[in-house]
Amino acid sequence: MPGDACIMGLFKDEAKAARVIPELAAAGFSFRRAHSPIPSHRILEALKLKKGRVGWFTLAGGIVGFFLGFALAIFTAVQWNLIVSGKPIVSLIPFFIVGFEFTILFSVFGNVIGLLVCSRLPDYRGLESYDPRCSGEHFGVLASCEAGREGELMDFFQKKGAEVKVFA
Amino acid sequence: MNATTPSIQPGSLPGSQRSLFTLAAVLAAVGVAAFVTGLLGPQPQRAWQAFFINFLLWSAIAQGAVLFAALTHTVKARWAGPLSGLSQAFAGFFPLSLICFLALLIGRDHLFPWLHEDLHGKEIWLNLPFLFSRDGIGFLALYGFGWAFLSQDLKLRIKTTAPAGGLRRWMAGRLPQTEAEIERVRRRKTLWGGLYCFAFALVLSLIGFDLVMSMDPHWISTLFGAYHFVKAFYVGLGALIILAAIVHLHQNRRTAIADAHFHDIGKLFFAFCLLWADFFYVQLTVIWYGNIPEETSYVILRTVTPPWSTLAWIVFIVCFIIPFIVLINRRVKTMPGAMIALCSMVILGIWLEHLLLLGPALNHAAAELPLGVTDGLVFIGFMGLMVLALAYTFKTFPELLPPGSEAAR
Amino acid sequence: MTNLTFAQIDQTVLNTLERPRPRYWLFVALMLCGVLLGAAAWTYQIFTGIGVGGQNIPVAWGTYLINFVFWVGIAHSGTLISAILHLFRAGWRNPIARAAETMTVFAVCCAGLFPFIHLGRVWQVYYMLPIPTQRLLWPNFLSPLMFDVVAISTYLTVSSLFWYTGLVPDLAVVRDRSTGLRYKIFRVLSLGWTGTHHQWLNYSRGYLFFAALATPLVISVHSVVSWDFALALVPGWHTTIFAPYFVAGAIHSGLAMVLTLMIPLRRIFRYEAIITLNVLENVAKTMVLTGLIVGLAYGTEYFIAWYSHNAVEWESFRWRALGEYAYGLYFMIICNVLLPSLFLFKKVRRSIPWLFALSLVVNFGMWWERFVIIVGGVAHDFAPHAWGFYAPRLVEYCVMVGSFSLFFFLFLLFCKHLPSVSMTEMKETAHHAG
Repeated sequence: MPGDACIMGLFKDEAKAARVIPELAAAGFSFRRAHSPIPSHRILEALKLKKGRVGWFTLAGGIVGFFLGFALAIFTAVQWNLIVSGKPIVSLIPFFIVGFEFTILFSVFGNVIGLLVCSRLPDYRGLESYDPRCSGEHFGVLASCEAGREGELMDFFQKKGAEVKVFA
Repeated sequence: MNATTPSIQPGSLPGSQRSLFTLAAVLAAVGVAAFVTGLLGPQPQRAWQAFFINFLLWSAIAQGAVLFAALTHTVKARWAGPLSGLSQAFAGFFPLSLICFLALLIGRDHLFPWLHEDLHGKEIWLNLPFLFSRDGIGFLALYGFGWAFLSQDLKLRIKTTAPAGGLRRWMAGRLPQTEAEIERVRRRKTLWGGLYCFAFALVLSLIGFDLVMSMDPHWISTLFGAYHFVKAFYVGLGALIILAAIVHLHQNRRTAIADAHFHDIGKLFFAFCLLWADFFYVQLTVIWYGNIPEETSYVILRTVTPPWSTLAWIVFIVCFIIPFIVLINRRVKTMPGAMIALCSMVILGIWLEHLLLLGPALNHAAAELPLGVTDGLVFIGFMGLMVLALAYTFKTFPELLPPGSEAAR
Repeated sequence: MTNLTFAQIDQTVLNTLERPRPRYWLFVALMLCGVLLGAAAWTYQIFTGIGVGGQNIPVAWGTYLINFVFWVGIAHSGTLISAILHLFRAGWRNPIARAAETMTVFAVCCAGLFPFIHLGRVWQVYYMLPIPTQRLLWPNFLSPLMFDVVAISTYLTVSSLFWYTGLVPDLAVVRDRSTGLRYKIFRVLSLGWTGTHHQWLNYSRGYLFFAALATPLVISVHSVVSWDFALALVPGWHTTIFAPYFVAGAIHSGLAMVLTLMIPLRRIFRYEAIITLNVLENVAKTMVLTGLIVGLAYGTEYFIAWYSHNAVEWESFRWRALGEYAYGLYFMIICNVLLPSLFLFKKVRRSIPWLFALSLVVNFGMWWERFVIIVGGVAHDFAPHAWGFYAPRLVEYCVMVGSFSLFFFLFLLFCKHLPSVSMTEMKETAHHAG
């Protein structure tokens, strides 16, 4: 909500950062997001997140690639309808190689697109409420509170052993 | 699961164990009866074919399963855990495999086409004495390394001082006492494990060339040896998964084998499914593309000519397509029942694949598949032998079972 | 390695991105000269014709193909280390994964140049692209060379994307420690990565899928390259073992190149605490395995050549051992199988001079293996009256120097401008160990 202040608590200890997350809700603050320099299972467990959806994009890409590869090889062979070195015009054994490579290629394209879409990258606006220490050795927990309760939130973080950074 | 010593004394025989031994003995007896009946019947060659195919298949299962323990130990992969004991237990089949190998000598006239053909000079390599001695030495070396590896491992596992039975008593007399001795046992274990892996590649390649490829003495494929040992590891892993799943289910899922173990070995099984199919495809592509009659006759007979073409498609679907589709799913690997079904299907598929490779050589101009009740019964007989071997090994060395399991089943 | 803190890891790696000393620019300039030499030779070849090279009838494929296979091979172990070992959860790969993946990308770039160079009339590559010509003639996908086009392009694309994806969190680290122009550049490059839980959730999955997809790609790409030879009918080429044999050989040569690059790198950048001797030892142990596989393949080829009782096949292998190019075979066996088996001894595995020396020996030996296969196959195939010889000429030597220079030029630039060790993965290792 407008007027809400965003405050980030920076922890050096991953476990402490993960523990804070459910306690924030209990204290009446709203959790925004958690930053970490490495993927953190504890934080993800604390947030009870389901597995990402990237896999579906990869699978879709793979299926598209499989058929596209075979289609390309078969279509181009059929255009020039002559027997070459005694092999049938549409020979699946060698065309499988083209199909296979295209499956991998388009799976990877799907994977990249899925990564970008699901992570919502590139996202330069996120840098506005971000502390560079979060890519170093700190685990940052960003929370917001109603206007007037900033002092409480800062105390809350400091009592848990975090350094505090205030964003407008 | 805390590591506890097994709660039964090694050597004793509770009810469920006894029934397992009985069942296995019955299966083996059925197989022997079918084999002997076939020998005395009008077509002894079919009986020998069944014997030969099953000898190759079940030996490969044992060799491949033991490789899992040796390999994970050599590369210091720590995820194997309770699975390595189960894997080593398959070494119990090695003596039976050796006996069956020597038994092939009896059926030589029905089994080896190269005994009766003009080999144009290959007789130096493909003659009975040389082939049997080199393959015999190979088996002895491989099985020797496997047993040495197992014995070093057992020295580290056996804690109870109550021996029963000759083999276990012999073991118990050699347990390491001091820290230095334990270290020496560990180093020896690594040495024998590494030698087993090395011998596995060499000996199974040799077997692939000598016992399978030579059935068509005028055909060659340089990858055939490697194909044989990849196939062996594939079925070995399948059998290991079946054993692990059965032990786990028998103990109501309360063994030390965690979901993660099933997941990891399921992934390895999937990887070898792909590798087996890759080696199959690699040979097929090179031969198909070159279109050289000396090479293609073998492949055309097996993939395009009826009745073998149907079998080829069945093998491909059962050993690759179905496992591939099923194993892409993450959860199925941790469902022991489903994995038992899948791996059993794959083992049957590889059994059929052996028939596909060897059948045309042993049955020229076959109008229909040489696959009948006898072949099925001999398969069951060998399965009984394998179960006997495993049960005996677990009875003598219950330490091989994963902790948390109460009895040697 | 396990005692390092996050801050120490960051600092060690970020120190390598400091302003380079003049000696660095000297090396870069030297490599650039090599690149220009190669480019000049290639330009000369384009204007004069492919005949300026030594390849001719009967040996139509010479150093251009040898170098092509050599560079693709080097690329493969980079993907082995970054992708396959990630799937096996082998933690020792973390310190070298970034540099190995970079090696892959640059090696594929170098490899990809060679089909163009070997075309002679470079513009004819148009006919290999899937675009119909004016006569509605499309490329023939039955050809192994077209498999190559598809496979190598796929490998280049996938490796680059994999490399870049792996870099993104590290680019964010560099961004957060930079100011001025460097800040602006890395801000754009890091795609606004902030390490939120949501980003990490999807990133970890995506990276796992990348690794899982790159693994079959590695095997298929070098199988396809091997089929350039195996699908022909030339004795010594037409054999089913080529695909796994080439893949194993590729990993063997690539691991050697990893050692060749990592040993000076860790010295110059003071990475000893990160790229520890244990890591290098594990690379050496893997080389024992690949060396044995390659040795088994050599032995099998000879055995089956004899077993086949095919006069042409046997003559090809007899000549390989006793003919005019026999020294290549002995280089191959000694350098690829016999000498690397010294790595069975712990003392050799843990000695930096031995590791470096043997890595150079294996690189040398693997180059000669490709020579023996490629040149040895066609120089001495079916009809005795068609047997011939091959010697590279100046243009080819210059192009070879150019390709090696290009590889090191790109790698040198990479080292000083991008993080050569993955800080994120090192932190993960340290975190799990602590």
